[in-house]
Amino acid sequence: MSTDSEYTVNELMVAATSRELRDGELGFIGVGTAGRAYTLAVGIPMAAARLAQRTHAPDFTIFWNNLLSPDLGQIPPKLTQDYLTRWPTAYQPVCSADKNGMLARGEFDVSFDSAPQIDRFGNLNITAIGDYRKPKVRLVGCLAQTDHFSFVKRPIIITDLKKRAFVEKVDFITSVGYLSGGDSRIKAGLLPYGPWKVITEKCIFNFHEVQKVMQIESLHPGVTLEEVLDNMSFTPLVPGNIPETKGPTEEQVKLIRDVIDPNRILLRA
Amino acid sequence: MKSKLTDLKTAVQKVTSGSSIAVGGSIIRRQPTAFARELIRSGVKDLTIYGYPCGLATDMLAGVGAVKRIEAVYTGLFEYGMAYNIRRGVESGAIEMIDFPEVAQCARFQAAEMGLPFLPTRTLKATGMAQYNPEMIKEIVCPFTGETMHAVPAINADFTVLHGYYGDEYGNVQWPEFRDADDLDPLMAKAAGRLIVTVEKIVPHSEIVKRPNSTYIPHHWVEAIVEVPFGVHPAQCDAFYDEDEAHLEYYQECAKDPQRWLDEYAKKYIFGVKNHEEYLNLAAPPYRLAKLIVR
Repeated sequence: MSTDSEYTVNELMVAATSRELRDGELGFIGVGTAGRAYTLAVGIPMAAARLAQRTHAPDFTIFWNNLLSPDLGQIPPKLTQDYLTRWPTAYQPVCSADKNGMLARGEFDVSFDSAPQIDRFGNLNITAIGDYRKPKVRLVGCLAQTDHFSFVKRPIIITDLKKRAFVEKVDFITSVGYLSGGDSRIKAGLLPYGPWKVITEKCIFNFHEVQKVMQIESLHPGVTLEEVLDNMSFTPLVPGNIPETKGPTEEQVKLIRDVIDPNRILLRA
Repeated sequence: MKSKLTDLKTAVQKVTSGSSIAVGGSIIRRQPTAFARELIRSGVKDLTIYGYPCGLATDMLAGVGAVKRIEAVYTGLFEYGMAYNIRRGVESGAIEMIDFPEVAQCARFQAAEMGLPFLPTRTLKATGMAQYNPEMIKEIVCPFTGETMHAVPAINADFTVLHGYYGDEYGNVQWPEFRDADDLDPLMAKAAGRLIVTVEKIVPHSEIVKRPNSTYIPHHWVEAIVEVPFGVHPAQCDAFYDEDEAHLEYYQECAKDPQRWLDEYAKKYIFGVKNHEEYLNLAAPPYRLAKLIVR
């Protein structure tokens, strides 16, 4: 990723994610696996949360893995466990059952989720590619992502735009978005929540208010509609007039680079 | 109170082929790897593993083909990547994988803890997990509100294996004040039938009674306790030692190829040693351990 331009795509994604976070809210960040998946699941959300705290939402709170309100002003230089253990934080539940109770009681406003497969209704698959019983590729399972999509008011999906990721129908529904669109989610007995935004490296999507299908909200600077559609296996709703995604301000870029992630731990991949 | 102190070999001999084991810790934290290596050397097969996030210990068992079924919320090694042995096992059909999200899997341990056959949960509506597993995820109607939810069955494992910090010979296990969360270990301990605990250090009972509110596993629940220093290496145990990054990276490099994992990694670190002491001398001699110790 070039650092010669005014900002990197990761920095744009951080700023875009940050804009969705509101003061006083509680957000859940999960664990990620290696490489890019880690940046999408952990790095960008963490940087976005800190950026929100430093700008418009000083009382935005996160629960990360086992930590409630870790001090995002002191993000550890490495994320091996001992650094996490020593990270100044308000609360480490002695048992993770406490966190599950918080989730199921509906204490979380936002969550950050990514997936190797997502469909037009925002259903996610992190369990298996192909036949569930005899998968072509076995993925990680469910974690708490299912719970996020059941109980969190505005899950935010952060993932890269790829043909094999944005599919007509997910092979397996790990996490229920708008199911098959319209009021199908409500009819299935789920809470009237569902994915809020999909933030990718090329564009941002939201979901149509009534049809509950993915629609393009904005294109990142320099990205064409064609390029977006070329990287999807289904066609989203395309409004007549698509605005450009607002990039991060100079001040935001400076904050991300100098204060929030000076060692490039969060945005390294 | 009677002494429940034993050695790893004796503790492992309790577990027979076909048993189900709830495995504590998560991913690369307090994964009972010394127990798993001894279990592998004992030659047991056809194990069912109940986990929360499954990690290193289960991946090792899967690598030698000792696992037939896993019920868990995740399998993987966090920043180190996929749990390759488990992944291959599931893809080949050798391992039957039963997926539950965290709230549901936690409810299953909570049901066992409460002495109930099941608990209801709202988290499985319209999911693939419910669709593919109607034997274990059944619709239930709340008798008070009429809401349709799902019942999930209690996890009543044959054995529960946890790794703790300090314990006495009677099986009282305490945690240090300074540590990260203990995943589901406190709940798994309560939900256990036959509970085997390995600990970093056995201390005199007179030390335990100085701070009884630090006892998260009381002797009454424990069948066997074993002192196993560095008992989760190359995973991590708060207040004692950090994860061994170099070893984990080597583990993963080998595990990408099933034959290499068996011929190189398992041959050297599991089958090539007689016991945990020999393993430590080989994999984590004092000069390496010195770098991992966090006390």
